[in-house]
Amino acid sequence: MTAEGTDATGPDGGPSIRPFLDGAGVSPARPVPPPAWADPTGLRPYVLTAGRVPASGTGIGPETQVVARDDRPAILAPELSAIVETCPTPLSVAEISARLGLHLGVARVLVGDLRAAGALHVETTDPTRPHTPETILRVMRGLRAIS
Amino acid sequence: MDYERSVESRVPQALKIIIAGGFGAGKTTAVGAISEIAPLTTEAEMTTLSIGVDDPGQDHTKVTTTVAMDFGRVTIDESLKLYLFGTPGQARFGFMWDDLAVGALGAVVVVDSRRVDDCHAAVDYFERAGLPLVIAVNAFHGRLSHDLTEIRWALSIGDDVPVVAFDARERTSVRDTLLVLLEQALARAYGRVA
Repeated sequence: MTAEGTDATGPDGGPSIRPFLDGAGVSPARPVPPPAWADPTGLRPYVLTAGRVPASGTGIGPETQVVARDDRPAILAPELSAIVETCPTPLSVAEISARLGLHLGVARVLVGDLRAAGALHVETTDPTRPHTPETILRVMRGLRAIS
Repeated sequence: MDYERSVESRVPQALKIIIAGGFGAGKTTAVGAISEIAPLTTEAEMTTLSIGVDDPGQDHTKVTTTVAMDFGRVTIDESLKLYLFGTPGQARFGFMWDDLAVGALGAVVVVDSRRVDDCHAAVDYFERAGLPLVIAVNAFHGRLSHDLTEIRWALSIGDDVPVVAFDARERTSVRDTLLVLLEQALARAYGRVA
């Protein structure tokens, strides 16, 4: 039932880079080449999202917490797989975006795709619901503990 | 089903505060002073209609802008994380604020007292958006080039918006500024309850 071992490696154990991405700025000399889709001179953001931009009303904001599901599909596109692998523990969309060098808008679209594919749990809250005094007091207590 | 539940129960609640300010005003410094992680940077690239009266000389056509947004994190407890998003304060970056403002606890507008104009648009925007707001004047090397009353006047903000002097490099100073903001948020929350 679980699908373990999802990773972004190709058949030869190296990063799985699609043929048409070869030479898109990935330097083989580096021990850990940056993912091709993260290279700003390589793919334009709209290529990764197939031209889509973040829709409003998806409830996915920069702070939205995301975590990989244990029962996620085994096979995902490399850029999607990379997202899933950054969040074995809950992480914000903004942190995923920063770690993978993805534009924030791209990360939001792809996170939405991964939620639809059953690979990620996305903790959405109703952003229009006002914060309760209890929540605000909790944040204040937490901040007061900082010295 | 068990997996589903266990995954969901591990996910903390996330809240955010916006730290807006002009370039060099100290917003990234402030984020870094209180964040438990080194501030991270993400890029937002969007096509947008430039808004406001930022540069009257420019035509207001659609432009694609890439903006770096620095952010930090404070773990409040095991089930609550606070994110601080630093965003430029000029009107032409206003497109970023819509996304950030939704569900935010409030906004701190960091002001360099030598360049108060840089943050007009941000103050206007967050005030109109009805977000709890604090104007935090960064006291570079412990001094302000204008006093707080003058800055309040220059920004033409209401008496209900606190204006505080702070040092963006000092963790406790940033913390206290956030607490002033949260007092604002709390007063509103109680206002709704009552």
